[in-house]
Amino acid sequence: MSGVIPLDAVLREATRQAYRDLVTRPTGAAVRHRLVSTLRDHDRTEALLDFSRIGLVDFSCADEVVAKLVAAIHELPVTRVVLRGVREDQAEAIEHALIRHGLAVLAIEDGSCRPRLLGAIDDDWRAVFEILEAVLRATAAPVADRLGWPVDRARRALDDLARSRCIVAHPDATYELGAFA
Amino acid sequence: MQVILLPKLLDGHTVDLLASEIATWPPEGPLLIDAHATEWASPPAFVGLLTLGQALEELGAPKPRFTLPAADTASYWARTGFLLHAERFFELHGKLPRRRADEQNEMLLPVTEIREAKDVHEVVGAISDRAAAMLRNELHLEASVVGGFGQSLSEICQNIVEHAGTGGWAAAHIYHYRRRLGRKVAMIAVSDAGIGFRRSLEPTQAKRYGDRWDDATALEAGLIHSISRFRDPGRGQGLAGTKRYLARWQGKIAIRSGTARVAIVPAWDDQPPMTTGLAWFPGTQVTLEVPGKEIEG
Repeated sequence: MSGVIPLDAVLREATRQAYRDLVTRPTGAAVRHRLVSTLRDHDRTEALLDFSRIGLVDFSCADEVVAKLVAAIHELPVTRVVLRGVREDQAEAIEHALIRHGLAVLAIEDGSCRPRLLGAIDDDWRAVFEILEAVLRATAAPVADRLGWPVDRARRALDDLARSRCIVAHPDATYELGAFA
Repeated sequence: MQVILLPKLLDGHTVDLLASEIATWPPEGPLLIDAHATEWASPPAFVGLLTLGQALEELGAPKPRFTLPAADTASYWARTGFLLHAERFFELHGKLPRRRADEQNEMLLPVTEIREAKDVHEVVGAISDRAAAMLRNELHLEASVVGGFGQSLSEICQNIVEHAGTGGWAAAHIYHYRRRLGRKVAMIAVSDAGIGFRRSLEPTQAKRYGDRWDDATALEAGLIHSISRFRDPGRGQGLAGTKRYLARWQGKIAIRSGTARVAIVPAWDDQPPMTTGLAWFPGTQVTLEVPGKEIEG
């Protein structure tokens, strides 16, 4: 089960102010603590953080909210965090924060259903991600075939992406982007 | 009484002038800052003057006298919000304009006090609508560039809250750099009267630099190497992200702290990347400049 978490509501609850911008470290830490409580209380497979009604996201707040949440995901009862409704300037701040920690996350751009990877992304990860986006679900072999790579190279990139929780690895050795509508 | 005569134009070097005029810190006697001949002032000058006033107040020094400029200039200073704050730190002499800070003037951000995180929220909120429209319409910046401007403003203001140990000031304005660039530029100036880069980084960095540790190496560590006083790898992101944004849009950043100034300078500017041996001034002064888009034809 996936659940959409509107970040604007979390921001207001965490700060008790009518803020619409995710700025400053104290605000980011308060929002993250609120998110962690919410995720612990609800049994979800995926947490979709909805940025669509958020104004500005600065680098420090992106670090507190996204990077530190993604870094702590193993302690939470969710398989992954996906960002939704992310604008270009917000994506840049989030990506900057994730790169500093060597982390990656799947994000859906504002106004589209197009997924993209943000953060510390290897070129091979990006290549297999694009194939998976087109074929939806596949084992490593057809992905390698499309890229003209040895299967091991494609599998390694897909496994790395799955370990980063940007894609889903299934027991039947297939991989997919997963549901994030 | 020591008199500091301000020139006709108060620009990014006004703080250097103030510092060099005050031979010893704290000043030995009362100060008179005379702005009667001043006709124009920029955000770095406004926030620098307030920093001087704040630093003297925090030291318990006598309130300096401040002679206001001519009526039309003073009226503009009132609209920018400068005089509202200056009244706290200076004994103002001259005709005080009745007009106060005006939301509808040409400032992107009037002179605003920054003391805590909620002030940063207010600053960012204040530039989100009208100022964003100005950046789009006058500088022809795309939405993502406008967003980056707000992110940078937020980060520079947060440095005051996180590192200065006291409050500070922020202001932003649009200028036309006709000769230097032939384009409009959005300028942010932020200044605080706090402990400065050297003292902020000293506990964690001074040993690494040994005898070389001074204002210049501290600024170099903070701005060029994105070193933070915190061990958390996520720290130091603010200046690092701001640098990345400025590099992408040919922007400029200059930071003065103590006796040095370090700058990351785009091709359109000729400021030296490092200036040492400046007269000492309290706290830290940051100036960011983001050029507008070049319009063909």
